[in-house]
Amino acid sequence: MSTIAKSTKQSKKPDKLIAPKGNRIQKFTLADGFILFLLSVFALSILYPFYNAVLVSIVPQQIYVRSPFMLWPPEIIGDSYGFVFKSRLIWKSMTNSVIITLVGTAYNMILTILCSYALTKPLPGRRFFRFLIVFTMYFSGGIIPYYLLIKDVHLMNTLAVMIIPTGIAIMYMLIISNYFQSLPPSLEESAKLDGANDIVILIRIILPLSLPLLATFTLYYMVDRWNEWFSAMMFIRTTDKWPLQLTLRQIIQDANFANTTLVPGQVKPDTYGDSIKMASIVVTMFPMMMIYPFLQKYFLSGMMLGAVKE
Amino acid sequence: MDNPRSQNLSGKSRWKAIKKEILYYKYIYLMLLFPLIFFIVFKYVPMYGLQLAFKEYSLRGIAASPWIGFDHFKRMMIEMDFFRALTNTLIISFQKIVIGFPFPIILAIMLNEVFVPKYKRVLQTIYTFPHFLSWIIVAGICLNLFGDAGAMKKIIESINPAAAVDWSFLYNGNTFRGFLVGTDIWKEAGWGTIIYLASIAGIDPALYEAATIDGCGRWKRILYITLPGLVTMIVIQLLLRIGGVMDGSFDQIFNLYSPPVYPVADTIDTFIYRITFQREVAVDMGFPTAVGLFKNVINFILLIGANRFARAFGHDGII
Repeated sequence: MSTIAKSTKQSKKPDKLIAPKGNRIQKFTLADGFILFLLSVFALSILYPFYNAVLVSIVPQQIYVRSPFMLWPPEIIGDSYGFVFKSRLIWKSMTNSVIITLVGTAYNMILTILCSYALTKPLPGRRFFRFLIVFTMYFSGGIIPYYLLIKDVHLMNTLAVMIIPTGIAIMYMLIISNYFQSLPPSLEESAKLDGANDIVILIRIILPLSLPLLATFTLYYMVDRWNEWFSAMMFIRTTDKWPLQLTLRQIIQDANFANTTLVPGQVKPDTYGDSIKMASIVVTMFPMMMIYPFLQKYFLSGMMLGAVKE
Repeated sequence: MDNPRSQNLSGKSRWKAIKKEILYYKYIYLMLLFPLIFFIVFKYVPMYGLQLAFKEYSLRGIAASPWIGFDHFKRMMIEMDFFRALTNTLIISFQKIVIGFPFPIILAIMLNEVFVPKYKRVLQTIYTFPHFLSWIIVAGICLNLFGDAGAMKKIIESINPAAAVDWSFLYNGNTFRGFLVGTDIWKEAGWGTIIYLASIAGIDPALYEAATIDGCGRWKRILYITLPGLVTMIVIQLLLRIGGVMDGSFDQIFNLYSPPVYPVADTIDTFIYRITFQREVAVDMGFPTAVGLFKNVINFILLIGANRFARAFGHDGII
């Protein structure tokens, strides 16, 4: 008996691997080396631009101008970061982005969960509601009518314009809905017999069972809100309501912006242009760089769910 | 009706049953209320606003604007910039499909051959990271790296000083589309591998074992097991990409392009934005609405078509 149990245990092992293959028993070959080499080169080509951005942000401008291609910083200074963090506008934009991300994500998740749960129920008119929602994935009114609508509902030049119209990402909603549907219905039925209503069931039974999935889509929404810039560019007129991404865009695209607006009263040392741009970029992507390696599992699982669910 | 309980009844008793069901699901309707309000206000009201494509916009509002029939569409047909934008959109999309589409597939197959799980995970982390950055950040890094004073130009200068004199990645119309395709691969190829790796993981490992025992090398295993196992997913992804050709990756182009490359990089989305909000040409609000409607209708047809075909390949029809 024990030998059988052991052997089944062993035979199960390969199933767990992402790449179940026979080549583990084979020796390291030239082809392996070649594949590893190509993959590593691609990885380096992704890493180098980030590394370069960090380098440009910390070396003095005259060194950068002389040799833009660097492998190692010959001299490190923190002037650009000092300048960036001295800027009231950058702090203001960062605060705005944090507010938009936190409030926006909470709002997105609440709407998305309500919608996905409701669509799992065989209520009269479900097919119609589903059609009404999915149709908007295929067809939209376009940007001009949307612009006029935002004007009409007085969301112009408010932080809310980066929150309220984002509502529900239909793709996320459908994946969550499919997951809710896959939960055993007996759980709900027994709760219903105990007198719980649908809202209680959703909060007490469905949500606790779906935490990893909800974590994934919370992260997706957070990234979406943090990266928000287009609606800000269209609808926000005053700079102190800008999100960080739009401020960053202005720093990158407008050569004079850093000089005139970033730290009023203090003229940016002329030679620090690129350095300040890269410092702002590093600051903007810093949160993502910090969380991504540790939460990667959640980031990837959403895409996997979208792929495998069929 | 979805619910079989009310299906076989007729007349009054059927309505009664439906009423009972609606009452039974009252909390669910309550939950659906807020999402529906969102969709109606922010998705359907703009669709109502599409009538502007057939009107001359007046400040009194969409409803009060006078009808002018197909005038905006007639103007569209003689507008050279519109045709330029249309062809650019299609060319850039197809270049991205032809060159960029196979990339994640090859990458996934190669990643699958890496037998050190830890290193594989490190590679995956690096590959997928740029997907989560905005195009503002990526464009900022690119503008610096590929700019006229950037590191790339320096490298070319050290290899071939003569060619470097008027070399430009960002302002040269001949190479700019290639630049768009390249940066798109850089940012999104790694993310694209996830879906293929998931499909490869679904292939029966017994196939690989049997093939190895039968003496198949790595290349043959890829050719006869991995690739056939991926075909369905490849076809579905390709169809979905084709369905999206009218979407001109606004974020990427808008943050990377500049007037010298407008002739090759101005897409419908950027065209609409520029004529409406940057006021480079004075136009009636109805004109960009008409251009947008034109784009959306074609987009809609392509998406529905792609979806139909994808469904035939076993995809459940959600793009």
